[in-house]
Amino acid sequence: MTLDFKQDFFALFGQPRRFGLDAAALDAAYRAIAAEVHPDRYASAPDSERRLALMHATRVNEGYQTLRQPLARARYLLQLAGIDTQEETNTSMPAEFLMEQMEWREAIADARAGSHVEQLEKLARELAGDLKSLEAELAEALDSADPDLDGAAQLVRKWRFMEKLDQEIGDAIEALLY
Amino acid sequence: MALLQIAEPGLSTAPHQHRLAVGIDLGTTNSLVATVRSGSATCLPDEFGRSLLPSVVHYSKAGTVVGHNAQAEQSHDPHNTIVSVKRFMGRGLADLPDAGSLPYHFVDAPGMLQLSTRAGAKSPVEVSADILRTLKERAEASLGGELTGAVITVPAYFDDAQRQATKDAARLAGLNVLRLLNEPTAAAIAYGLDNASEGTYVVYDLGGGTFDVSILKLSRGVFEVLATSGDSALGGDDFDHRIYCWMLSEAGLSGLGAHNTRLLLTRAREAKEALTEHTETRITAILSDGESIDLTLDQATFHEITKTLVDKTLLPVRKALRDAKISVDDVKGVVMVGGATRMPQVQKAVGELFGQPPLTNLDPDKVVALGAAMQANVLAGNKGDDDWLLLDVIPLSLGLETMGGLVEKVIPRNSTIPTARAQEFTTFKDGQTAMAIHVLQGERELVADCRSLARFVLHGIPPMVAGAARIRVTFQVDADGLLSVTAREQSSGVEAHIEVKPSYGLSDDEISRMLTESLSHVKEDIEARKLREAIVDAESLLEATRSALASDGDLLDAAERADIDAALAVADAAIKGDSTRAVNDAAAALSRLTDPFAERRMNRNIQRALKGHNISEL
Amino acid sequence: MAITLSERAADHIRNFLTRRGKGLGIRLGVKTSGCSGMAYKLEFVDVAHDDDLTFESFGVTVFTDAKSLAYLDGTELDYAKEGLNEGFKFNNPNVKNECGCGESFHV
Repeated sequence: MTLDFKQDFFALFGQPRRFGLDAAALDAAYRAIAAEVHPDRYASAPDSERRLALMHATRVNEGYQTLRQPLARARYLLQLAGIDTQEETNTSMPAEFLMEQMEWREAIADARAGSHVEQLEKLARELAGDLKSLEAELAEALDSADPDLDGAAQLVRKWRFMEKLDQEIGDAIEALLY
Repeated sequence: MALLQIAEPGLSTAPHQHRLAVGIDLGTTNSLVATVRSGSATCLPDEFGRSLLPSVVHYSKAGTVVGHNAQAEQSHDPHNTIVSVKRFMGRGLADLPDAGSLPYHFVDAPGMLQLSTRAGAKSPVEVSADILRTLKERAEASLGGELTGAVITVPAYFDDAQRQATKDAARLAGLNVLRLLNEPTAAAIAYGLDNASEGTYVVYDLGGGTFDVSILKLSRGVFEVLATSGDSALGGDDFDHRIYCWMLSEAGLSGLGAHNTRLLLTRAREAKEALTEHTETRITAILSDGESIDLTLDQATFHEITKTLVDKTLLPVRKALRDAKISVDDVKGVVMVGGATRMPQVQKAVGELFGQPPLTNLDPDKVVALGAAMQANVLAGNKGDDDWLLLDVIPLSLGLETMGGLVEKVIPRNSTIPTARAQEFTTFKDGQTAMAIHVLQGERELVADCRSLARFVLHGIPPMVAGAARIRVTFQVDADGLLSVTAREQSSGVEAHIEVKPSYGLSDDEISRMLTESLSHVKEDIEARKLREAIVDAESLLEATRSALASDGDLLDAAERADIDAALAVADAAIKGDSTRAVNDAAAALSRLTDPFAERRMNRNIQRALKGHNISEL
Repeated sequence: MAITLSERAADHIRNFLTRRGKGLGIRLGVKTSGCSGMAYKLEFVDVAHDDDLTFESFGVTVFTDAKSLAYLDGTELDYAKEGLNEGFKFNNPNVKNECGCGESFHV
């Protein structure tokens, strides 16, 4: 029953290894484990235990961040299945998707040029909605009895595009506010 | 004759073994020390009943004076009276836009600036250590013994260099730093525990020289920081400065000397404080050339000349809300911290942004120190089962310089600490045997716009064709928010590691030299002190090992148990002797032997935590 | 047989209990250790034990056990200030000598 560092993050938090996740159960498991290994629990302990606590707490935080964000979770599941998501190398996307991307970029640029913070915030909400549907598609691809791993990798790459849009909207809002 | 405090059930300590822990708020304008006594957090006053220690140090041939007495020297010896030193922590001269208007003789030492005083050149770390030492002495007199440890607060928005400088100052003052704690988080502890709050809260902390905002989710004993932002060069001092500038223009003055500048800044501060309660205030002063000033400042004018400052604080608030992905409607309460939040225009602006009056029921000057004391009490092990957990974050992204003067982020801001992240790089020239690593902190894309934390070089990479070497750079941020970086060439195993001492941080050697010097003032026998410290450390190791054996001894086989018992006996004998070396060696041997045991115990605790949770879920 | 509190000590204890937000009273006890053989114990009480003996003093419940009472009978717990330091002090008539620290004693 050793908590070795080879154990995957799902096992670490006692969660089933799948994309669809009970967020409340993950939160509760994270808090219970963090409470045990946090360096604050070992502030007066000998050096060796303090080092150990730092290592464990770091891993527990990394695991929680990986599992709680859908993109990171999907990527991690694919990685466990031995699939490289090729996010840096494979940029081929369906033409339709690329068209949508261009429309998004234009909308952001227009809102930014017109100093419409509300417009940008509206775009951010729309994008969040699109990401929700992407999350549902990922669940279907990854959690079905016959998972479509290559399809899931493509969805991860799409998500990366969308995330960049979100970043652009955020930067535009910040640039207007500051 | 020691006086006793009431311990938590079952946590009485043996005589002379009290775990005396304090929280210290090392502020720009004022500093405080607090402790938990008989279960209650309380600020420790000086012999005149004053809790606030002005963060002012006066250096003269006669010696060093800290606090109120130093403040009294401010007007007639401004060059040697250091105020607001916190603004200089971890900063170079180039970082100070207003260096010219300050009455000090700066020396631009490599990295961190220094101040030339009649007692010699002083680094901000040394000046801060003088303030901390005064608080340490006050605490030890109040608690009747040597301190076991201290929690020191820092602005949440402090970068790695400023945090490292603060920790160095504490060590220089002879304090064992249990933790660096972010000021808004400390305030949230004091506030949240007093009010049994649940939900999302914003802490708006406008101090003398720094502004922080943190967004925290409080639930069942967990304080989770969702996002933090701020401005480490914006505070109450800037409001004083606006009044000062207004006075100059009203009275048609310019080119004042250090003495007059200091005098008028003091008057400005008094006017600011008066305008909290009165609609107008009269400002009078007689300058050194005999010219007299007599002005009346009303609230409306004051609010007008400081409006841009108030607005400037709202930007980081919006940014933190965005980072936390929440809107103002999700916020259950806004806690005001820092003396500058007493200004009515600040409270009004914050109230308008959040659509609710901010919470001001705790003394904004004391709440940070009280929270730090509560956390120190937990960390020292004086609290029972009902303690709490802090999940804090780093305020600014950490990254590395890549090609073309760009910064590649390795750890994004608002990551929960402790955290670690690794990134792989490769060589770009055939036969390249070394790689320069430049560590940066900040949000901008260009190296020039971020703060440079450290540079080091990984040598000894075996010559390969360009792109073949795999250099893995690992960033580790500990629970104090301090960074260390390791670089390793994967195929050869060549490694380089640094604790990120900001380019100008003090090395450990420098600190121990300075510590030795400061100790020789009190003519303390350093050898005896080293032995005593070694024994105290060994005793705590022995105590921890024995209690671990009692609770989890079943995790060891008979041979392992026998080895540990033998090492315990050796250590027991060593602490009764007078050889520091023997004590340290015995403790190190015991510690090595118990490493695998500690690992097994931690795993068991995790499994228990998980099980307990699963059962409660069902 | 009894243990009492000075009025000043009782005031402080009531205040500490209120700020702590819970607790039935305080426990006084002795344990064998310290430089003079016995050491005082002073703790908050959240759970009473079956074999506890209790006393009331100025509205505060004082808990102890039979073994400790043998050493503490007649003790008055006081609250004192000495310079910047302040805290509780055992005035114990059974004590033959103290180690000077006030935390441990010998009967």
